[in-house]
Amino acid sequence: MKHLSPVSLKVNGDAYELSIPAWRTLLEVLREDLSLTGTKRSCQEGQCGACTVLLDGRAIYSCLFLAVEAQGKEILTIEGLARSAGALDPIQKAFVETGAVQCGFCTPGLVLAAKSFLDENPFPSEEEVRRATVGHLCRCTGYFQIIEAVLAAARERAGKGAQL
Amino acid sequence: MGYLRRLPRFDYLAPRTVDEACSALAERRGDARLFAGGTDLVLQMKRREITPRAIIGLKGVASLSVIRSQAGGIAIGAMTTFGAIESSPLIREKHDFLCETAAGIGSPEIRAVATVGGNLSGALPCADFPAPLMTLGAIVRLRSVRGERALALEDFFMGFAETAAAPDEILTEIELPSRPGFSAGAYVKFHDRHAMDMTTTGVAAFVTWDRARGLIGDVRIALSVSGPVPLRVKNAEAALRGRRLTEEALVEAGLLACREAQPRASWRAREEFRRELIGVLTQRALRQAGEKARVAAERGNA
Repeated sequence: MKHLSPVSLKVNGDAYELSIPAWRTLLEVLREDLSLTGTKRSCQEGQCGACTVLLDGRAIYSCLFLAVEAQGKEILTIEGLARSAGALDPIQKAFVETGAVQCGFCTPGLVLAAKSFLDENPFPSEEEVRRATVGHLCRCTGYFQIIEAVLAAARERAGKGAQL
Repeated sequence: MGYLRRLPRFDYLAPRTVDEACSALAERRGDARLFAGGTDLVLQMKRREITPRAIIGLKGVASLSVIRSQAGGIAIGAMTTFGAIESSPLIREKHDFLCETAAGIGSPEIRAVATVGGNLSGALPCADFPAPLMTLGAIVRLRSVRGERALALEDFFMGFAETAAAPDEILTEIELPSRPGFSAGAYVKFHDRHAMDMTTTGVAAFVTWDRARGLIGDVRIALSVSGPVPLRVKNAEAALRGRRLTEEALVEAGLLACREAQPRASWRAREEFRRELIGVLTQRALRQAGEKARVAAERGNA
């Protein structure tokens, strides 16, 4: 059996040529080969949401996704979100300002899930935000600040859009 | 349930067409598993419940994720994700309850990856999609190097995690026949949390209204997590045909449905509780679908 296959990944706009076995998850490759440790490893069974990244703009759990199957797609991790905006993304800013970050472990996944959601649905109701974030566990905040942060980010982004 | 480890080793095959996938499966017969979204399979492999020598990844077979109109009905590619079903205008127009059912599965992250073909082929009793599709008279298409065949979805499930697909066959498409006039469906489920949870029990109902007589015309009822396989409850269906949509009729149908079911006891629910749920959920699903079909008939909106 030939185990190593050449895999080309595009992460945060950077191209990587890797030689990895097919049984490695996207989460493992991001953290261990690319040292992008902003993507968190926690439950590893698609329950907690800490490993969420964007694949062509859609939030997925990187612990359930094979790295080889992410070829040809644009991967965005939390490291790329801040870089592309030059400063904090409005969603990150809203998380900081509303106290939605405590220990911070769930934050990268939630921020990316919020981005994917707000890109599709810029004017959400609170109920829609709750539904959009069901796949994320937070053991500190009690969720209220997180919901508020996503709504605040939506308002901020809508305000910016109106100015343009 | 074993503890989680890193994935075991496997060969990875990435066909680009259905023909290539069929050949790969035929060649590796017995030691390869088809890999759709992978949200179930990755977990089963991490737990070492399955350790296939090879997996055949289907994400690169573009023709399998198409939703199209066909002879008045709809054909849904097996690799269509629940996210795509949720937001499909074509499916929403004909069967909006399928969009709602899709939207109730897992989380957005799961729905972006998990596929309808995987949900059917996994043949787990807790799957939400088989029952609603069964009430619509869905047909599944199976392909192999030997050819193609079609099978009623009702005849597809053989047992826990067991289907009628031969080891060299691939589920390629789910076909929904054209929707009769003045009809509507509903799927209601009970689960402990409102999201990210396995369904304790679910009931799908599809009602066609007899406009001329103001009665229930045809009705189909199918249950999830109420036996080793998703099942139609035909006694309950028969009892409702030609009846008025009254509380009495619904209660009777609920009783018949919970008698026909074969629910098991698990930590989620005792058998008695599941039976009670089946009765209640059957009434709710019938009320939702029946009212919608009746209103459509009264307004003349086929």
